[in-house]
Amino acid sequence: MSEEFNDNKTIQAQSSESISGGGSGAANDIDYVRPAEVGEQDLYHGHSFISKWVFCQDAKVIGVQYFLLATFTGIIGLILSWLMRLQLGFPELAGFMTAEHYYQFVTMHGMIMVVYFLTALFLGGFGNFLIPLMVGARDMVFPYLNMVSFWMFFIAVGVLLASFFVPGGPTGSGWTLYPPQAILEGTPGSGWGIMLMCISLILFVAGFTMGGLNYLITVLQARTRGMTLMRMPLTVWGIFTATVLAMLAFPALLVGALMMSLDNLLGTSFFMPTILKAGEVLEYGGGSPILFQHLFWFFGHPEVYIVALPAFGIVSDLISVHSRKNIFGYRMMVWAIVGIGALSFFVWAHHMYVSGMNPWFGFFFATTTLIIAVPTAMKVYNWILTLWRGNIRLNTVMLWCLGFIVTFVNGGITGIFLGNVTVDVPLSDTYFVIAHFHMVMGIAPLMVIMGAVYHWFPLVAGRMLDEGLGKWHFWITFLGAYSIYFPMHYLGFIGVPRRYFEMYDSPYMTSAVGMNEFISIAAFIVGAAQFILFYNIIKTLKVGKPSGHNPWKACSLEWLTPSVPPEHGNWGDKLPIVHRWAYDYSVPGAKEDFITQITPPSEVANTEVEKT
Amino acid sequence: MDETKKQEQTTTHKIGIYLWIWGLLFVLSFFSYMVDWYQFQGLLRWSLILIFMFLKAGLIMAFFMHLFWERYALVNVLLWPMTAIACFIFLMVAEFEYTVFTRIFYFVVGG
Amino acid sequence: MSDPKIEGYVFKPGFKGMADDTGSDQTMFKGVHWGKAMMWIFLLSDTFIFSCFLISYMKGRGSTIIDWPNPSEVFGLHVFGVDVPLLLIAIMTFVLITSSGTMALAVKYGYEKNRKMCGWLILATAIGGLTFVGMQAFEWSKLIHEGVRPWENPFGAPQFGSFFFMITGFHGTHVSIGVIFLFIYAYKTFKGHYDEGKRGWFTTMKGDYVEIEILGLYWHFVDLVWVFIFAFFYLW
Repeated sequence: MSEEFNDNKTIQAQSSESISGGGSGAANDIDYVRPAEVGEQDLYHGHSFISKWVFCQDAKVIGVQYFLLATFTGIIGLILSWLMRLQLGFPELAGFMTAEHYYQFVTMHGMIMVVYFLTALFLGGFGNFLIPLMVGARDMVFPYLNMVSFWMFFIAVGVLLASFFVPGGPTGSGWTLYPPQAILEGTPGSGWGIMLMCISLILFVAGFTMGGLNYLITVLQARTRGMTLMRMPLTVWGIFTATVLAMLAFPALLVGALMMSLDNLLGTSFFMPTILKAGEVLEYGGGSPILFQHLFWFFGHPEVYIVALPAFGIVSDLISVHSRKNIFGYRMMVWAIVGIGALSFFVWAHHMYVSGMNPWFGFFFATTTLIIAVPTAMKVYNWILTLWRGNIRLNTVMLWCLGFIVTFVNGGITGIFLGNVTVDVPLSDTYFVIAHFHMVMGIAPLMVIMGAVYHWFPLVAGRMLDEGLGKWHFWITFLGAYSIYFPMHYLGFIGVPRRYFEMYDSPYMTSAVGMNEFISIAAFIVGAAQFILFYNIIKTLKVGKPSGHNPWKACSLEWLTPSVPPEHGNWGDKLPIVHRWAYDYSVPGAKEDFITQITPPSEVANTEVEKT
Repeated sequence: MDETKKQEQTTTHKIGIYLWIWGLLFVLSFFSYMVDWYQFQGLLRWSLILIFMFLKAGLIMAFFMHLFWERYALVNVLLWPMTAIACFIFLMVAEFEYTVFTRIFYFVVGG
Repeated sequence: MSDPKIEGYVFKPGFKGMADDTGSDQTMFKGVHWGKAMMWIFLLSDTFIFSCFLISYMKGRGSTIIDWPNPSEVFGLHVFGVDVPLLLIAIMTFVLITSSGTMALAVKYGYEKNRKMCGWLILATAIGGLTFVGMQAFEWSKLIHEGVRPWENPFGAPQFGSFFFMITGFHGTHVSIGVIFLFIYAYKTFKGHYDEGKRGWFTTMKGDYVEIEILGLYWHFVDLVWVFIFAFFYLW
């Protein structure tokens, strides 16, 4: 087995060379960077197909695996949303669908999109692929654990999808899985469905913990020489902070899921109060349903930022690269990410204003919720100020970024409405809420994902995605998403409740029929438009234009590997040495409009680079 | 991870300090057991339980888990997240008081 | 442990050192092994799991209007004609603290490359852990015999049984996993895997006595959790 590991001789040579290179004239040499603290990482290089592509320990392959599986799950979520929209817009065409089906689709759509699609895609997909490359590591620090993490996710997805085929079908209790109704007869999937959901979530948390430990320790302990925390690209900061949130928030979900499974299996009454059913008292009694809501939202609110923070980070990098300007207020951006992350643990009960919790909580949570708007707004200003007088390339990536900013501001402002108790009470459980969270954590992060795919695809495949198709994809998605969610604000204001299978014959709801049909048609088109991307990817893999090294002329490390796409081990025989932050674009006095992170200071001595 | 640079001798602590902490933990556990033995009640009981608990936890973390000797960068990262837990505890105390109030109000007093 | 030596880096004490460490390149926790850093972060996450359990317990116990059973009596033992409150729990606490002490010494001897001593101490720790699990099994069977079930109990609020079995069960699972690993590590220590740097069975990392410290962190954490469970569940 030992011949499969890196030969340590090259490593010895490298570290001794670097020490002698820096040690002598340390005080005068402006290119000096401290020698490596730890030796080289041993990597397991697979030789067979299985160890190279299936049970692979290379973070880049694991990232792509995560990406593909999350996308597959996301398509299932998309199809479920189509079925829901068919029922809402054209119930006469959806005769096969009962109310039970509808609730099951609502539940699975929500859970899939939030946990199994967005979380897995941002942290598992982008995290695995980008973190080692961007911090200059050869791989994640625990490659084996990382591989197990993906396969746990695989099993979790399998268990989740298996619930479509068990007696009673998947759970239909809404993605929040509130007890007591989640496990009482009458709710679809109250037996098998909810059990499989809980098991799947527990597996997901276990698998994610393995991956999350990798992301955190790689960022904290395995950066390359010269890479300080404050020189990391904001993408890494976003994913890193989101991972911290996940490590601290998922425990609450795990505990909640475990206790609910016990309530369901053993008949304990953690969450089950005394319940009368058709005049008979059930065996449950004395439990506290609101406890589950607290546990769920102690996880659930940080979860929103687990999805949002990586998007914030990635979009900052994309905007900076494609407007050829350094990100405005880098340190402010970092502290805003950290601050939002920290605050997100103190706002959870703003999801529970109408739940019957202690009424004084409204004060506390409305205040903390509005405070969190401050760092978020700072980030929006900084994106706009980065664009301000930049040398903007209006390509597909930039279009997605601009779409993100608009959508995010829109969703953020409705968030301020909903954060206030008095405004929230009449609006809660209406389409206004649906519009809010789809804008802010559905469409906005999705726009970033799309932008990131167009930006980083050359790094994965070595070919450029087609710009023309990309622009079609963007404009249909952007205009279509607004056609879907903008009218929903209005539906919410007139009081149309969410999660209703049918609108029945009340006068104000029948007034919404036309709008529902319009939304449904837009939803079908937007969903179908996503397949443009898949066509684009397949086409590009076959006949796409080769990208060459660093097609976007970016400064950050991931584009500076010896070969594009990078091989296992990323950096050939020599790790990069970092001298500056990732944002030296359009520096006065420089020959080109960007100075990479690994350009030594002596080569750009006459320029006005930022001191970072 | 590291093959080449681990050669320096890792210094360890004298055995005495571990034995001391070990002894202290026994004594503190004994004290907290005595709280129950003598059936102290009310505020005295709770404060004694909490004091002994935090002392024991602190000793284990500081010396057995070596946090006392670790650099602040690590200690800080480990202790700050506890504020979220503290907030959760604080709010859940308020919450169960309210729940029990409503239960007594509606079930016992009868609204 | 004392500060390691790192070429080109000046260690400063206290908060100034913290700022320097955080702001420096390559690593934030200077001289801390990757695996050790990972274990610390994992334990932080695990702390949140146990905190959520105990907070749920607090909420459940606080909001029930049926009387909570008196743990002092429920967990009492009847020995030699006398009722001794919490006797078994007290012994379990002492056993766990004993095993924690042997583990701390095992870490120390590991770093001193004292293979024999380290191995025997790990084995002693494992046996302590095994005793603890055995006593917990005895306690469970005694309570089940008295009619306590996860969904009901003869002494008062049904949530008492639910939280008892869930929390001690989850803790007991942690102890059992720890015992399994202690036996594995004892074997590896006696075989000298840490002296010769033999690679792990699954990972590509070379063996090092730091792994004993990593296992030790986990074991002390299990003890730490027991301190809180003892205080909140048995004494409160």
